[in-house]
Amino acid sequence: MQEHGEADEARIAALFREAASGAPPPGFDATQVVATSRRITRRRRSAVAGAALAVLAVVGVGVVAGLGGPSDATVTAASGQAADAAGSGSGAGPEGAARAAAPEAAAPDAAGGAAAGSPFDPSAASSPGGAEPVPAPGPAAAAVPPIGTPLGPGTGECADRQDPALRALVDQALPEVVGAPKAATTLECRPGGERGVVLEVGGGILTVTYLPPGAVTAPQDGALTAPTASGGTVVVGSRADRAGDAAPLADRLEPAMAYLAPHL
Amino acid sequence: MSQGSRNRAGGSVRPGVVADAEQEFDAYFRARRDAVRRTAFLLCGDWHRADDHAQAAFVALHRHWRRIRDRAALDAWMRRTLVRTVVDESRRPWRRERATDTSPEGVVEGPADGPADAIATRHVLVDGLRAVPPRQRAVLVLRFLEGLDVAATAEVLGCSPGTVKSQTAHGLAALRAALGDALDDLRPAG
Repeated sequence: MQEHGEADEARIAALFREAASGAPPPGFDATQVVATSRRITRRRRSAVAGAALAVLAVVGVGVVAGLGGPSDATVTAASGQAADAAGSGSGAGPEGAARAAAPEAAAPDAAGGAAAGSPFDPSAASSPGGAEPVPAPGPAAAAVPPIGTPLGPGTGECADRQDPALRALVDQALPEVVGAPKAATTLECRPGGERGVVLEVGGGILTVTYLPPGAVTAPQDGALTAPTASGGTVVVGSRADRAGDAAPLADRLEPAMAYLAPHL
Repeated sequence: MSQGSRNRAGGSVRPGVVADAEQEFDAYFRARRDAVRRTAFLLCGDWHRADDHAQAAFVALHRHWRRIRDRAALDAWMRRTLVRTVVDESRRPWRRERATDTSPEGVVEGPADGPADAIATRHVLVDGLRAVPPRQRAVLVLRFLEGLDVAATAEVLGCSPGTVKSQTAHGLAALRAALGDALDDLRPAG
């Protein structure tokens, strides 16, 4: 039986060898193989290098945005304030920042209350449509300087009542307000060193104010205050829209203030 | 920039080592090309595609040449690469194989035991192999053309020896069923 099996295999093997005989001349040689191999290797390396460059570019853009974000926002806010200040000379009034923010707050977009003025796009403060995409918490965090370089006072003639740099910090401290629409503010020209953020949050208003060193403010009901790293004061408070209702985010104000103080 | 300097710049391989590796590859290529082509031919049933598959396998081997430390395993590596290439291609929709009643290369008529007989045998067997599922075909080719035993075939295909045995039996049955009485030598010995 075993012999029969081996004989079978030998006959089949002979058939296979015969079937594979009579090969035509080969269609390739070693030179072609090596050339193809090197071409593929070069292509792969180029693809890898391209992918690495793309990753580096993305990372670089992220780093630049992270490093440049706060200063850009500050500069833009200051520019806005300077423009407002210039506008005041022409009789337009000194409260440019508040004026720019007020229409947006009065008309939040129809997409569910997404912020009209993203902290990452200061120009959106003058965008009448206000239909900016809701900013992700990540870039907001990237726009905030690390602890050790506090934001410090504003530089405009009048305070920015919806300060983009402070808004970025607030978004980082309270992720639940990311995308919250700006609330209307008064036209009062507060001292330029101040920064403010006033937001419409669920059922009320959240107010965060930074006061430069030496500035004093009257205590507000339910608001928390703390000294900041730059020697100023941060005031964090919230109030309900309707009297008798609980103030929104009341239990989040203290940790938010603890986060903001070393950054301001 | 020469290959050697490019590698030197990369800091990975010295020029002399590169030259040695190229010579080794060239020697292996010259020694094994025809055998690899034959195996590819029985796996796919067409010399043009066999050349494509064999070339692809050699290109892959060249790209991995310096990383294959066990030179004794080169043949197994090539067989594995070749079988995978052919089986994978046979599964692609535009290349999915279909059994046909006629040979694409035509039927050769001629006297028995002459050159025409050998050609007829080749056509008949290749046609029959086309009717065998690719994995079973690979087992048959490795065992009967390459002369591998069950264990070596299992290693190349990455399966168990038991699978090789069963695939051999199924493959031979399929081949015999496809050929009918066309080849006496494929009939089981009494």
